[in-house]
Amino acid sequence: MANLLWLQGGACSGNTMSFLNAEEPSACDLVTDFGINVLWQPSLGLELGDQVKAIVEKCISGEIKLDIFVFEGTVINAPDGTGEWNRFCGRPMKEWVKELSAVADFVVAIGDCATYGGIPATAPNPSDSVGLQFLKRDKGGALGEGFAAKSGLPVINIPGCPAHPDWVTQILVAVATGRAGDLTLDEFHRPKTFFSSFTQTGCTRNMHFAYKVSTTAFGQRKGCLFYDLGCRGPMTHSPCNRILWNRHSSKTRAGMPCLGCTEPEFPFFDLAPGTVFKTQTVMGVPKDMPEGVDKKGYIKLTSAAKGAAPAWAEEDIFVV
Amino acid sequence: MDDDETRATIAEMLASGLETEVWPRAGTSEEVNEIVARLQVEAGQDLEKKLVIAGFTDHTIEADEIEQPCETCMYYKVHAKFCELPELMVPVEPEWSCRLWRI
Repeated sequence: MANLLWLQGGACSGNTMSFLNAEEPSACDLVTDFGINVLWQPSLGLELGDQVKAIVEKCISGEIKLDIFVFEGTVINAPDGTGEWNRFCGRPMKEWVKELSAVADFVVAIGDCATYGGIPATAPNPSDSVGLQFLKRDKGGALGEGFAAKSGLPVINIPGCPAHPDWVTQILVAVATGRAGDLTLDEFHRPKTFFSSFTQTGCTRNMHFAYKVSTTAFGQRKGCLFYDLGCRGPMTHSPCNRILWNRHSSKTRAGMPCLGCTEPEFPFFDLAPGTVFKTQTVMGVPKDMPEGVDKKGYIKLTSAAKGAAPAWAEEDIFVV
Repeated sequence: MDDDETRATIAEMLASGLETEVWPRAGTSEEVNEIVARLQVEAGQDLEKKLVIAGFTDHTIEADEIEQPCETCMYYKVHAKFCELPELMVPVEPEWSCRLWRI
């Protein structure tokens, strides 16, 4: 049995909604098959007010062993570093977060807000929000760069806006069943099992990427979304096209450019007008290249690939 | 007019000295957006205005040490020899160029 406590800071509850849609395994499977005891969760917990406070205090005192502390949303520091803008059970949430993280065996940050600050931390960041151990790419966050949970692991980051439900449940199962040692984390504390490949890996538009055929307007089924519509699939680490959403599809498969929500900088360009759904260029060359590709190589590749493109690549090959 | 006729018409307009806004090239995304906005508002379906605002030439322009022919542009359909930028949608030749070129 592994006790799990889930709290929310500066959050929209999107990750909770995502989590509740998990299928492999489902949220119920966590309890019935994998021995996870959910002490409290904002959308599932029956306790209110002082009852919740009692649970949290017992975790901190050690009366209840806290195996897994899950946090969703940013840690809010405003105003003036007090955290008073986000009070929970009579105190700033940031204080609960520090104390609970200190006693938990594992600390898991779910979603982009809890991992890196996400949308709330976009400049000018009025709520003075941070992630648990990062603010965007900068190490530190609410718990500090050197933080390690009692297990010895730093905060396990499962980013996404929201995180895919099965990423969440599969990591929780790994931790709860004593297989945390199998997890390797990347430099941003993301489990490599999910975040080594790219969103583009498995994208159904890859042949259009290969032949440099662009989607030029929303709704087109042909073409690649990277060239014009700002898709970040080639430089975003996520398994969105390997572990499909609702087991059926993904943003790019449905014609929606990847927004790069599993990367620390999300949302990119601070959401400046004209930067969303539009590939940013300098003299016609994309500002952000597919990972590992340089400008010179990109130009050479594009010229060659475009010249070799077969006629079918320019047409909508999907029929009803 | 079909695409071949339109392409021939454009070629004639450019060859006969149609003054187009070749420079400055669209160096930044903001500049691209400005030109595209002008195409939407000022040009509409007017072919000549499209050519002028987009800065069409019947030869390849080099900018920032990069050659910018239609044939390597993302909006170019190789087999149809057609520019698919929604605001342009014109038949072109591979060696032509315009300042909205992107790769």
